[in-house]
Amino acid sequence: MSTATGGKRDVMHSKWTVPAFSVVMGLVLLGANIVGHQLVLGLWSLGILVVFGGAVALGGRSETIRGLRGDGRDERFAMLDLQATAVAGLAVLIAVIVAFIVEVARGHSGEPYDWLGAIGGLAYLAAVIVLRVRG
Amino acid sequence: MRNNVRERRSARGLSQGDLGDALGVSRQTINAIETERYTPSLPLAIGLARFFGTSVEEVFHVDGNGRKA
Repeated sequence: MSTATGGKRDVMHSKWTVPAFSVVMGLVLLGANIVGHQLVLGLWSLGILVVFGGAVALGGRSETIRGLRGDGRDERFAMLDLQATAVAGLAVLIAVIVAFIVEVARGHSGEPYDWLGAIGGLAYLAAVIVLRVRG
Repeated sequence: MRNNVRERRSARGLSQGDLGDALGVSRQTINAIETERYTPSLPLAIGLARFFGTSVEEVFHVDGNGRKA
């Protein structure tokens, strides 16, 4: 993201990108819940994401909000974003591994945590290889 | 990494926000550099040095031989 230039950079750094993405995701979840006959749950999902998007869009000029929004993002915040993403990914991976172990201990197959863990591990290996090749 | 960004900025009568605007980074990033909580990228370090009309080595100083322990 930090190497993006021109139009792509403008879009990624627009203050409306994250709010718009939140609303679109809310609508997608609403649609999925309607298909699954869970209208109330879909409306809750949409509401939560609209509130989040609104808070990001109208959240003032704090560095955290502007960084999340994209319009205040510089190289330091990009580094913070990278580290935060790594921490979040590690948290998810630990949760998946613990859940897999618990499921196996209960006599189950470990699904879906087995393939979720596999995706995480393979994605990490692929990223290491690609990033190493790119230098 | 030790640096004299604060001294050079103050000597020019600039605020952290002014310097950040000139270099395309946030006021908080300038503050983090001045307080040595953040080591800038090479392009930003060069940008800072050029802004002050000097070299990177005159702005940033590495303790010891420059190698990480």
